[in-house]
Amino acid sequence: MNALAEIEQGIEGLLAQPPYGVEPEEHHRALLTLLKKELDYAGERNPRFRNYVEHWPVDFRAAENIADLPYLPVRVFKANPPLALVGAEDVKRTLTSSATTGQVPSRVVLDAATARRMTKGVITIIRDFVGPSRRPYLVVDTPENLKGQAELGARGAAIQALGSFATEVVPCLLPGENGDASLDLEKLLAFAGKWKDSDVLVYGFTYVIWTQLVQTLQRRGITLSMPNVRVLHSGGWKRLEQQAVTRDVFARGVASVFGCSPDRILDYYGMVENVGIVYPDCAHGNKHVPCFGEVIVRDPLTLAPVAAGQRGLIQVCSALPTSFPGFLLLTEDIAEVISYDQCPCGRRGTNFRFAGRAPKAEVRGCGNLERTRYHQVEGSVR
Amino acid sequence: MSDMIQAVDSPQTITHAAKRIREIALQKEITPEVVLGVFDQWAAALGDRELHDVPGMSFLRLWLRRGNLEPILLRELGPNSLHGGWREDGRARLRAFPLGVIGHWPAGNVEIQPVLSLTCALLGGNGCLVRVPSGLVEITRRIMDKLQQADREGTLTERVFMAGFDHARMDLQEAMARAVDGAMIWGSAEAVSQVRALPFPHWARVAVFGPRLSAAAMDAATWSDRTQRSSWCQRIARDVWQFDQQACSSPQTLFLERGIGCDPAEFAEDLKKAFQEENRQHPRAEIEPALTTAICMARASWLLDDVGNRALFPATPDWTVLLGTGAEMPDPTQGRTLVVLVVDDLMDVISRFDGTLQTLGLGISDPRKEEMLAQAAGRCGVDRIVKLGRMHVFGSPWDGTELIRPMVRLVRHVLSQD
Repeated sequence: MNALAEIEQGIEGLLAQPPYGVEPEEHHRALLTLLKKELDYAGERNPRFRNYVEHWPVDFRAAENIADLPYLPVRVFKANPPLALVGAEDVKRTLTSSATTGQVPSRVVLDAATARRMTKGVITIIRDFVGPSRRPYLVVDTPENLKGQAELGARGAAIQALGSFATEVVPCLLPGENGDASLDLEKLLAFAGKWKDSDVLVYGFTYVIWTQLVQTLQRRGITLSMPNVRVLHSGGWKRLEQQAVTRDVFARGVASVFGCSPDRILDYYGMVENVGIVYPDCAHGNKHVPCFGEVIVRDPLTLAPVAAGQRGLIQVCSALPTSFPGFLLLTEDIAEVISYDQCPCGRRGTNFRFAGRAPKAEVRGCGNLERTRYHQVEGSVR
Repeated sequence: MSDMIQAVDSPQTITHAAKRIREIALQKEITPEVVLGVFDQWAAALGDRELHDVPGMSFLRLWLRRGNLEPILLRELGPNSLHGGWREDGRARLRAFPLGVIGHWPAGNVEIQPVLSLTCALLGGNGCLVRVPSGLVEITRRIMDKLQQADREGTLTERVFMAGFDHARMDLQEAMARAVDGAMIWGSAEAVSQVRALPFPHWARVAVFGPRLSAAAMDAATWSDRTQRSSWCQRIARDVWQFDQQACSSPQTLFLERGIGCDPAEFAEDLKKAFQEENRQHPRAEIEPALTTAICMARASWLLDDVGNRALFPATPDWTVLLGTGAEMPDPTQGRTLVVLVVDDLMDVISRFDGTLQTLGLGISDPRKEEMLAQAAGRCGVDRIVKLGRMHVFGSPWDGTELIRPMVRLVRHVLSQD
């Protein structure tokens, strides 16, 4: 069996298990073995990546902990062309992150096998939280983001990943002229009337749900009366925090317009680079890691994993990609580890709470000068 | 002993303080000689063990000594300046007089800078308004307590007002700018631009020490000399560690001249040992998470960009050596991340410098070559050329500018009876 086939077999083995049912030691052992094979494979496929792992202070082949394996900062995927383990001819889709204005988005390439695993991973996770049944699916977004394109943004990827739970998909926003969207109220009310008491799935980016759906309906005094809705949302809190919308305010606001209980609103953390894994909140407000991934929270001062109850930088791990080296990624987000295996919800393994983006570095003194400026004055002496 | 730093909340407090210290500066003239006397005692008081942990304290003590400042005063203000006398200048005579009240806006990343900036203006006989950055209040207070001990009669302290307030309080920033006759502004581009835009009086003289970059260079004979190499590496480590590589005088890149039969990787190993030792002696107590991720990104992008690039780093973010080739200075990462670039000819590197390069730290064995490199560096905008290990030693001129002279007026007197 060649290396890739062996890796694929290992991934399928993990995907076949209950995502949160594996005993932590067994999970660690299986994932460590697989990740080492993947690192070896990735080094063979990409000499630049090999150069990186060979300079890692610990030889990954001898590592006894996932935390000792070489991880990449997630920002490396902002490079163009994207860091890949497959040739351009094998790229089926490129996922891009939702960079804010002026920022460079991350780009990760998926071949057919990785794309398939991505969908399978997300379905496995979401099924554990909302159940396996198919149901009407209301998308708080424009029809454009439902299209399957070769280059897919984070919103489109999240919307499509939940498509497997849908009997019908209804987008409820209308595209505007300047890229702004507005609520298609007629369509929304028709959907709500049709599926009033049914089990319905809703998904949208957090700030889109708030600004386009909740605020619009609140202004008009409309309640949809859909008590059995499950609202999933993701995409970060930065913009809402600027408007002083807390998680609690958000959940109560969404619940009030749908006429459901706030516990039917499910926030999840995720990023396109951590392919195939999302982290929804459990009933106890904690995020969990499936058996085909891991989360390591690192102390910024030492980069060592923190103890339960402590905060640090989030490193995400996923065994699923084989088209790009996104196995072990250090993010710029902060989390608190709640416990390493004791969540009352019954899910096994690491559980954590997202605590926001790492604040940008303060202005770093009189040496804070970038080469861009160095070049702006080229040819002149001050 | 009163608290030298006041938390200020109203513009009137600043305006009144400025009025008071201006009157003192006008009424009670002090000569540089008197200031030097107090500074000498202050330097001695700063030798207390309790202040050993203040970064840059040894430099501050050295700076304050008479033996250091006297030559600077004589060079900047001329003969007889120590006693405040007039000096002959052809058929006229010259004498330095204070500008009045000098406002100081020090950078937030150099612990001793509020005090260094202050000393320059005091030597000119001025009164001083100092905005102390919030992160430096405690350290500055400890240093100023020692001045109060040394200056029992209050000769200097009565003409100093140190204010602590949030940098975003534009009403206080503006009140301070309106109240001064001169200003010394230090820091990053953003900080400097904000302060320069304040409403200074039209007569105010403003000295700006803005953001700069620094680099180091060694010729092949120096870095390949195994007997001296560890000593040079210790010097480089010292320059990198001081101010956590955030100062304008911190080396971000070290250029090594290519040599025959000597391996840069071997040099990098010695550098690694020096960095490990420096880190053992001066470990970080804290770090911003954003800097940690920036360091990880610098390591990754260096090794991913070019398979020929090498790197040495521990599992922690404590230090990083990035080894490659090329004459262009890459964007600085700071956080004890030194890029070591091998080049064929150091002149090629220096010819690419411009005015953003402040300090060039050198390790050159051949004096003639050093002379050539210094000439070229000066021509290309570099303001300080020093031996490696001394890149942060504060002195005049700094950034190509004198430190005391800009804060005095040289008054010319042509005798009416002549």
